[in-house]
Amino acid sequence: MESQGMKKITSVWIITILMLFVVSIVLGILMRLNQGGVIQEQTLTFYSNLTTHGLTMIGIWFVAGMMAVNYLMQRYVRTSFAVNLTALIFTVIGVLLLWLSTFAGKFNAAWTFLYPLPFKDFGASSWATTLFLISLAVFGIGWFIWCISLMANILKKYSLAEAFAWQHLRKEHKTDTPPFILITTVTLIGIITCLIAAVIIIVLFFAEMLSQGRFVNDALLMKNLTYFFGHTIANEMLYLGLAVIYELFAEVSGRPKWKTTWYVSLAWNCSLVFILTAFFHHLYMDFVQPEGLQIVGQLASYLASLPAAGVTVFSVFIAVYRTKIKWSLTNVLFFMGIAGWVIGGLGAVIDATITNNVVLHNTLWVPAHFHTYNAMGNVLFSLAFFYWFSTQSLENIRLSTAAKGLLVTLLIGGIGFLLAFYIGGSDSVPRRYSNYPASLKEAKPLALMGASFAIVYLIAILSFFYNISRRCLKILFASA
Amino acid sequence: MLQHELLILFLILAGIATIVFVYVFLSSWRLKEEGGGMKKPLKKRFWFSLILVVVLGIFATATLPRSPYFQYAHESPAKVIHVDAMQFMFYMSEHAIDPKLPVSENIELPANQMVEFRVTSLDVNHGFGIYDSAMHLITQVQAMPGYVNRLRYTFKKPGTYHVLCLEYCGMGHPVMETSFVVK
Amino acid sequence: MFKNIVCFCLAFGACLQLLAQTKVSALDEESNIYHRVFDAPLTESVSGQKGFLSQQYERKPLILALVYTRCTGICSPFLLQLKDDILFNLRDSSFRVVVLSFDPRDSKADMNSLQKRFGLEGNSQWLFATTDSIRSLNTSIGFAPVWDSLRKQYNHEALLVGINSGGYITKKLIGMRSSHDLEKMVTSIHNVFSPSYRLPGSSTLFSCFNYDPKSGRSTPGLGLLFVGLPAGLALLIVILLRLMVRKQTPAVPDK
Ligand code: HEM
Ligand SMILES: [Cu+2]
Repeated sequence: MESQGMKKITSVWIITILMLFVVSIVLGILMRLNQGGVIQEQTLTFYSNLTTHGLTMIGIWFVAGMMAVNYLMQRYVRTSFAVNLTALIFTVIGVLLLWLSTFAGKFNAAWTFLYPLPFKDFGASSWATTLFLISLAVFGIGWFIWCISLMANILKKYSLAEAFAWQHLRKEHKTDTPPFILITTVTLIGIITCLIAAVIIIVLFFAEMLSQGRFVNDALLMKNLTYFFGHTIANEMLYLGLAVIYELFAEVSGRPKWKTTWYVSLAWNCSLVFILTAFFHHLYMDFVQPEGLQIVGQLASYLASLPAAGVTVFSVFIAVYRTKIKWSLTNVLFFMGIAGWVIGGLGAVIDATITNNVVLHNTLWVPAHFHTYNAMGNVLFSLAFFYWFSTQSLENIRLSTAAKGLLVTLLIGGIGFLLAFYIGGSDSVPRRYSNYPASLKEAKPLALMGASFAIVYLIAILSFFYNISRRCLKILFASA
Repeated sequence: MLQHELLILFLILAGIATIVFVYVFLSSWRLKEEGGGMKKPLKKRFWFSLILVVVLGIFATATLPRSPYFQYAHESPAKVIHVDAMQFMFYMSEHAIDPKLPVSENIELPANQMVEFRVTSLDVNHGFGIYDSAMHLITQVQAMPGYVNRLRYTFKKPGTYHVLCLEYCGMGHPVMETSFVVK
Repeated sequence: MFKNIVCFCLAFGACLQLLAQTKVSALDEESNIYHRVFDAPLTESVSGQKGFLSQQYERKPLILALVYTRCTGICSPFLLQLKDDILFNLRDSSFRVVVLSFDPRDSKADMNSLQKRFGLEGNSQWLFATTDSIRSLNTSIGFAPVWDSLRKQYNHEALLVGINSGGYITKKLIGMRSSHDLEKMVTSIHNVFSPSYRLPGSSTLFSCFNYDPKSGRSTPGLGLLFVGLPAGLALLIVILLRLMVRKQTPAVPDK
């Protein structure tokens, strides 16, 4: 079923991702320490680190989802090793170019590189912006090929209607679409969409660069495109993780596999629409955006939570509630991840309400909620997959005391780190400030609190890193 | 402050979610033998979703009409203040600001009367976040080059108000600051 | 591929040059917004009646146009366009138009003949007038014509000032502008709030939305297409993919 080659490359992916993760967390902790006044980074260093941290994190957790989906997809259709390898190479080159542009070139326009900031990027070398855009293009090309290839693999076996599980909306149907295929299809289309948006952004950027001032972009259009890309990719990452959960949760728990039903089909088809329109909530404070779209933004953001909660989360409850389960680190991580995802979602819905956004927009509330469903959601989904992957051949993995200790460490670190962000947000502390004005009294102590707990979180991650990588290295160097 | 209430709301909701997750987890963890799972799951799923729809629907209808775009729509402002944001400072004036020679004025605004800020940017995107004298964010709008955003607000309390930039605009972002007085 | 991108960009550049508009410094129209207009004494050109500007705007909101009769430049085409726009495009009598001379040499008779030339004599929406306090008025609206003694002409811009019934300047338009912009001015003098507007001078080719003051709605611009495009393209790609891979492989049995 799963080929040796795929196993080895997946091991490489996992080790690479975890290594980059540790580096990015360290950058994050340095940022928090700087905000707390414990260390003094140059402002430029802070902001280029912010850029590195943001894009590296988005990049690695995106590919973490993709490679997990790719690995599991082999159960249903054949996938291409060559494409997987290509994506790996492009991702690594992309990261190297990105780091060159930020660490050496001091590119510091943040990972959203909101137009026209990259053109007025103080402190950055003249080549840094170009290199940054090229690194994005490298990511984009590698990932685009990957998505298209996986999509083609699915469509070889399933017709479009089947891939969308539309037959499940009818009472009578001959074929079944596994939920994994349905979710992957919906997610891949979303990803292809936002990658195309990214291409348009990059072309418009280069058009302005090459026209030497004769062509000037429209700031509103660029902002819409930026968040169309940024918001969508950050959300689709999570959906990749959910596809893995639909596939693995029942299996590792020793329960019958989840089936697609009419409401699962309906929920995921609706998700596609909501996810592509919810990004308007990033422009609430741009009064130039027509009011109609602002309202669409709030409604789509609300609606996006319905299929998630009513179908996915509830399915997890049903699967667990008063059910005898083989609890291992894998499904505990999945379960905790779902909780993190829900709680982050609550923070998101609060912020996606226009009247609340007036006082929360671009405060620390924003990193608070997206770190919740990333650091305590998506990361846990992926760690669960990594762990499951690395222990596949081992029999009877039980939740050990050491593992329990690890989970508690992760929880304490994560919660404390996030709480510092949430409280900061409600105390009106702006996001993306390298140093806080003295008048914001709570900001510094909170930053220190965040840093301290993040170190606890990092310790847990290092332990995961050690255990998982060790086993992955074994898989990598095992003779066939 | 609205944002403190929101934090409490969030903590309550997150607490409830945590309790539910822990409860569901323990119901499985503590089982000695097969527990029979959830009774009538489809019905429960239906009610759960319905409640969610109703709650979200109430929230949407209660909040959407109070969105800033619809506030003060049919009133005339007592004063109009021009705001031009620039890397890395704000220009504020009762007179239009010449982009080639921008100058700022000391701003004094009347309390309890609606005023309008016409906010734009001379270079990149910035944010115009108004903080009260206790440094609570009370309202904000984005400053986008090529466009003018009109932020209307009625200040209730006299005092010094501070303005911070709320959109990342480059390395000088955290030092972008100005203030004005409400009398 | 790269060649295509370069060609695409060059084509961009070319078409943008064609679309370049008359450049107004983007923020000029912002000056004196929401300042009170100076309440100038007016002498009406037909009857010679004396009065004040305030008597005009208190009855109905105003659009104030500044011209002078000896102008060999922009004044005539400007006035003609204004007349055509109001009579044929807007057809709206909810406001009045005051055409005021800013040249002290203009007499009541000069303005009267101007009014006749434009066929606006019996039109009650229009009022042609002179004033003896043009300096104060000019200061209050931020208008600064400069006398060119060589050409014996004023160097000035074509200026429309929107004044609401409280006497506040709600909007200014500089230069020959579309009837669309004029509509925006009319909504503004009626105190209808729109939370934002675009500054003139920048190309609107790729803007997302164009605000339509008549309906109060924004209509999608070409830019919005770019936002919708990715989703459409992605679907298209997926459909094409399905068509392609189905042809390549012999039908795979499902089970
Ligand atoms: C414990 C681990 C982490 C720490 C200590 C950390 C720390 C930080 C800090 C201090 C910031 C800047 C906040 C500010 O605006 O002032 C930040 C931003 C960010 N983080 Fe993390 N983070 C962590 C994990 C993650 C994870 C798992 C992701 C996954 C996607 C992530 C993605 C981002 C992004 C996208 C930004 C925004 C960057 C920007 O504003 O341009 N972080 N993080
Ligand atoms: Cu800023």
